[in-house]
Amino acid sequence: MFLGSTMFRHRWLPIFLVAPLAVLVFLFFYAPVFQAFYWSFFLERPFGGGSEYVGWDNFARVLSDPEFWKASGRTVLFMATASSLAVLVPLILAIAADRAVRMSLPARNILVWPKGIAGASIGLVFSFVFNPFVGVLAPLNSLFPGIWNPSFDGFDAYISLIVAHVWGNIPFNFVILLAGLRAIPHTIIQAGAMDGAGPWRRILDVQLPLIMPQLFLTLVLEFTESVTSAFALIDTITKGGPGGATTLLVYKIYLDGFSSYDLSGASTQTAILMVFFILVATLQFVLLGRHINYER
Amino acid sequence: MVENARSINIVASLILLVGIIYILGPLYLTLTTASHSYEFMLQNGLVWSPGDEFFVNIRRIFTETSIPRQMINSLIVALGDAIATCVLSFLSAYAIVYFRTRWAGVVFALILATVILPLDMRFVTTYQVASNVFSPINALLDATGLNDLIAALFGAPFHMEWSILNTHAGLVIPLLAHGMGTFLFRQFFLTLPRDLFKAARMDGAGPIRFLVDILLPLSRSTFASLFVLTFLSGWTQYLWPLVASSTADMQTAVVGLARLVPDEGAVPDYPLIMAGAILVSIVPLSMIALLQRYLVQGLILSEK
Repeated sequence: MFLGSTMFRHRWLPIFLVAPLAVLVFLFFYAPVFQAFYWSFFLERPFGGGSEYVGWDNFARVLSDPEFWKASGRTVLFMATASSLAVLVPLILAIAADRAVRMSLPARNILVWPKGIAGASIGLVFSFVFNPFVGVLAPLNSLFPGIWNPSFDGFDAYISLIVAHVWGNIPFNFVILLAGLRAIPHTIIQAGAMDGAGPWRRILDVQLPLIMPQLFLTLVLEFTESVTSAFALIDTITKGGPGGATTLLVYKIYLDGFSSYDLSGASTQTAILMVFFILVATLQFVLLGRHINYER
Repeated sequence: MVENARSINIVASLILLVGIIYILGPLYLTLTTASHSYEFMLQNGLVWSPGDEFFVNIRRIFTETSIPRQMINSLIVALGDAIATCVLSFLSAYAIVYFRTRWAGVVFALILATVILPLDMRFVTTYQVASNVFSPINALLDATGLNDLIAALFGAPFHMEWSILNTHAGLVIPLLAHGMGTFLFRQFFLTLPRDLFKAARMDGAGPIRFLVDILLPLSRSTFASLFVLTFLSGWTQYLWPLVASSTADMQTAVVGLARLVPDEGAVPDYPLIMAGAILVSIVPLSMIALLQRYLVQGLILSEK
C-alpha cells in the first residue's frame, strides 16, 4: 500500500468526498437491513397503524408455516440447479471459443448480447416460446396430449425458468471464464502437448485446474444472482405457479409484503434470507481466503 | 502448434453453433412473432417465417400503450444511475486510496458489504425508507433521546417526512447504494504507479488538481466500463421499479412491458408484446454493439 508520504493529509476533504455515497449507503442499505431485523420483532400494521413488540412471535409464525419451508426448499433447489447450469453451459462454450476455430469470433460477440436484455423481457419471450398452445412445443402436445404444460405441471414450469435463467446469465460467466482461459500462458499448453497430452486431455488436466479461481468465483456470484434475478422470470413466466410450485422465497416475500400487506411476515422472511446470505458470504470469504490459485 | 486437432475443432464449432442458436433462437422468434397479427398468431401459433405486420405492431405500441413514455423513464433511470454511480464511486475511491485517514479501511469495508445483500433482497424495507427518507434519522433521534432535547429547546421534536416513491429520484437513488463502482475505481487506483503521485506532489499539485488533471484523464476507460455496466443494469431493473412506481407514467419500460400481459384468461397479445420487447431492447443492445469492448473489460474488472 501507500506510504505516509505518498498520501494527502487533509482532515475535511476526504470526508467531504466520501460523504455523498456514505449517506446513500447508510439510508438505503444499512437502514433497510436494520429495519428488516427490527421489524421481525414487531407486529407492524399496514398503512402506519402502529406497531407492537412481540418478541420471537414472528419467527415462530414464519417457521411453523409449511409454505415458508416449501419456498425455502425451492429456493435452495433453484440455487443449486440453476447456478450450476449457468456456470457449466458458459464453461463449455468458453472452452470451445478458446480454440482457434472460425466460429469463435461471432460467438464471442453474440454470447454477450443477453446482457442487454432485461430478465422480464426475455421472460415474456420464453413464456411465449414455451406456451403449451401456441409455442415451440405445441406440436409435441398434439402428438402426446398433455406432455408439456408449464401452467399445470410444476416440473415443466421449473424447466422453463431454468432455461430462461441460463440464457440470461451466459454473458457474465462466459466472459469471465474465457478471460481465465486466455490468460493461461501458451508455454504451459505446449508443455502439456510435448508430454503427449492431446487437446481433450489438456482440457481436464491443464485448463480446468488453471481456471479454478474463475470457476469458483462465477459459481459464488451465481448463488446470489440466481436467487434475486429469478424474480423477474417468475413474475413473467409462471407467476409463482402452478399452485405455488415455482414460488421461490423472494417471490413469496413480494406477495406477502405487497399483496397481503403482511409487513412483519415479509420482514421476518427477509431477515432470515439475509442471515442465510451473510453466512454464504462468510463461507465464500473463508474459502476464497484460502486462495484456490496456482502458480503460473 | 503442429497437432492434429481436427476432431476437437469440429466439436468446438458445433458447441459454439448450438450456443449461438440458443441465444439467437428466442430473439429471432421475437422478431417473427412481432411481424404477425394477433389473429394470425392465434390460428398458426409460433411461426418461423416473418410476416408483414411488423410496423403495424410497432405503431400500436406507440398509439395504444404507455411504452414510449416509459422508455423515457427507463432512459432517465439508466442514465441517472450510470452517471451518479460513476461520480460518487470515483470520489469515494479517491478519498479512500489517496488520503491518510484512520477510517478509510472501515468505510471501504462498509461500502463493499452492500454487494452481499442486493436491492432485490431488501426491497420490502427499502420501500419503507423510500416512503419517508427521513425515517431513519427520525428513529435515530428518538432512540438516542436527542429528540427530547430538541423538543425541550425548540418546542417540537424533529420529525420530517419526504417520500420519494413514484418519482424518478425514487427509482434511481436506492440503486446507487452499491459498492461495486467504488471497488472498481479503488482497484484501478492501486495499479497506478506511486511515482506518479510523488511527481505531481513535487510539481506542487494539491488534491483537487491531482484529481482533475491527472486521475480523471487516466480513469477514462474505467469510467466507460462502469458506465456501460450500470447503464445496462439500470435499464433492465425489474423488481425495484415495479414496487417503487405506482402509476403507469412513472413505470420503466420493462415493467410496462410485463403489464401488457392480461392477468387471467385469454392468450396474451404476443405480437404486440414482442414488438414492445424489441423496442425496449433496442437501446441497451445498440449500446452493447457500440461499446462491447468496455462492457467485456468491465465484466472482467468487476471479478478482480
